[in-house]
Amino acid sequence: MNALTIIFYIMAVLMVVFSIMAVTSRKLLRAAIYLLFVLIGVAVFYLAVDYMFLAAVQVVVYMGGILVLIIFSILLTSHLGERLQVVKPTTMLFAAVLSLVSAGVVISVINGFTFITSTFEGDKLTVAHIGQQLLSYDQFGYVLPFEVISILLLAAMIAAIAIAKYKHQGKS
Amino acid sequence: MSFSDFLLMRNELLLVAAAVIILIADMSFSDENKRGLYNISLLTMIIITVLGFLPAPSGKLFGGMYITGDIYILMKNILNIATVIVLLQSRGWLEKPGQQKRMGEFILLLVSVLIGMSYMISSGHFIMFYLGMELATIPLAALAAYELNKSKSAEAGIKLILLAAFSSGILLFGTSLIYAAAGTLYFEGVMAILDSTAFTTLGLILFFAGLGFKISLVPFHLWTADVYEGAPTNVTSFLSVASKGAAVFILVIILNTVFKSLNDVWDPMVYALIIITITIGNLFALRQRNIKRFLAFSSIAQAGFIMLGVINDGGLGMATVIYFVLVYVFSNLAAFGVAAAIENETGKESIDDYNGFYRTNPRLSLVMMLAMFSLAGIPPFAGFFGKFFLFTAAAEKGYYILTLIAVLNTIISLYYYLLVIKAMFIDKNGAPIGYFKSDTAMQVSLVICILGIIVTGFTSGVFDYMVNLSQQFFLTLQ
Amino acid sequence: MIENIPLSHILIFSTLIFFTGVYGFLTRKNMITMLISIELVLNAVNINFVAINKYMFPEQLEGHFFTLFIIGIAAAEAAVAIALFINLYRNIRSIDVDEVTEMKH
Repeated sequence: MNALTIIFYIMAVLMVVFSIMAVTSRKLLRAAIYLLFVLIGVAVFYLAVDYMFLAAVQVVVYMGGILVLIIFSILLTSHLGERLQVVKPTTMLFAAVLSLVSAGVVISVINGFTFITSTFEGDKLTVAHIGQQLLSYDQFGYVLPFEVISILLLAAMIAAIAIAKYKHQGKS
Repeated sequence: MSFSDFLLMRNELLLVAAAVIILIADMSFSDENKRGLYNISLLTMIIITVLGFLPAPSGKLFGGMYITGDIYILMKNILNIATVIVLLQSRGWLEKPGQQKRMGEFILLLVSVLIGMSYMISSGHFIMFYLGMELATIPLAALAAYELNKSKSAEAGIKLILLAAFSSGILLFGTSLIYAAAGTLYFEGVMAILDSTAFTTLGLILFFAGLGFKISLVPFHLWTADVYEGAPTNVTSFLSVASKGAAVFILVIILNTVFKSLNDVWDPMVYALIIITITIGNLFALRQRNIKRFLAFSSIAQAGFIMLGVINDGGLGMATVIYFVLVYVFSNLAAFGVAAAIENETGKESIDDYNGFYRTNPRLSLVMMLAMFSLAGIPPFAGFFGKFFLFTAAAEKGYYILTLIAVLNTIISLYYYLLVIKAMFIDKNGAPIGYFKSDTAMQVSLVICILGIIVTGFTSGVFDYMVNLSQQFFLTLQ
Repeated sequence: MIENIPLSHILIFSTLIFFTGVYGFLTRKNMITMLISIELVLNAVNINFVAINKYMFPEQLEGHFFTLFIIGIAAAEAAVAIALFINLYRNIRSIDVDEVTEMKH
């Protein structure tokens, strides 16, 4: 057991706890902040497996983009200190049993599977390498998804603008 | 790779070009009069649809990330036809005063959804599949919320996008397990390596559950009816026909290629899903009085019927699925077209309002009657042959009990489809919906639908052609 | 690769986060919290892809790139979803699924 291992397990436990708090907290802004902690944990995990670029993307897009959007919309649509309504016990029981049982099944299947760890030692992943592969059109090149996601982002942008610029008549 | 290889992506490239044309054309028309933009977009889409029928090369691009072949082209053509019909049907609604200046967005989002479906069907890699699927849902959510001042419509959009995001999350989790088992995400590679273990079974179940949400199979049908009811009628018709069709197409392809070796796992799954989907869809459809909710539940039941073809993992199964979707496109769009015409004119959505409709609008009533007959599967309309072939496909694999249950459910469905006809033709009403004349585009679309219902039913060549292509598809797999 | 930590532990940990997200999606009524649950689900998936890529198949970066695309799409999805939330809020001053009484089952 070295320090890194211990840190990993502590972080794993913390992340699970924070994600549970994110879905049970009755204060909206707190839920968003707990999500932030989970996202930071995921970024640290990417760093630990040496995917620096991915960690950077995680920080910039998830924390800088999505989470800011979420917090922004919370501030626009609800009052601070407002409490969410309590979940009905029957719903909660049903959802909890469903999630726990499914999680149990998945975990037991994962435990029964032998993962063959590769001993391949590649070069350190550089951004140049990622860029080249992203624009390569051979096998294991990703230029087609790269182009299609640009269409997707354009469509999403138009969709968001079309919704946002609409003026409501007769309502403030 | 040379530039001529790009011709393999003909349909997608043309659609992207259409999107660019629409974007540019949108700028050159004033906010008050967008008739020209509509005409340009419609013409472009018709040209693309017609070009789709030209013979096309088959093959792979980008190292297997994009696959095409005759059967893929056929599927895309069906979706193109559906889009053109929906576009025709929405003219009257798009040209309403105050609505006009947002027409460009509507058409553009519709085309981008179609691009997504095309890429999804042709995907040869899980990334392309996921991207295509998302491209086919994110703009659709904005379309469902198109009537932004109606909270029902806004809510439909939200429910659609939340459910889509959640279901793709489940699907991706399944995909990650398959990645662990196969070591690659290319369909070809996965197909060669995957074998039946508990681990891959779990991956398949999660993957299938994610896709089940898209096809709105029971028990993944939550909110389907809400989305269908809240969205504008033209968007609902697109959702129920094109979205569902595309998802079914890719499901058939993926089950028969990537998960071929897990056949004995997904067979019982599909079996169980068919029974509950058809039964629950039917039971709920019986109770609906709102025409859109009614068609929503009927389309859930129809999805169950489509799965009868999926359970047959051979050329016949795939051909029947494609044939049924084609027939379903015409029948359902005819029904939705009439509903949209009535709603556009009077704002009425309840089946009770249709009482005495035949006296005032005999032609629209006849169209609705044909559509209902076809959906219910009454001979000699195309819907009958569609269902008949599906039953044959299931029976060919020895699923006699399943076929029997499906046949019994067809009889139940007959009852509720006839209720709509009864309302229009027999029930008396003191104040029926007055006579109105729908616009030319709507009339053209309804004529196309009716011709489609009759022609696909009476010409055996259509189905033979599909069987032929499907068998070729399975031959190339080996 | 993280020393001394077997892949199965990472996958179990991501499974827990995944089903926490599922639980949240099923119980929450407020739309923003539902979006938060979805982000949890997607992050669990991302952890899976990255871990499997790094541990089992480091020759190719398929899981790495898949994660990259998932993050991109999640951003687009969140943007459209939040635009829709704010639009609904302008309509009815509430973003709870239950409070919209116009649609009954």
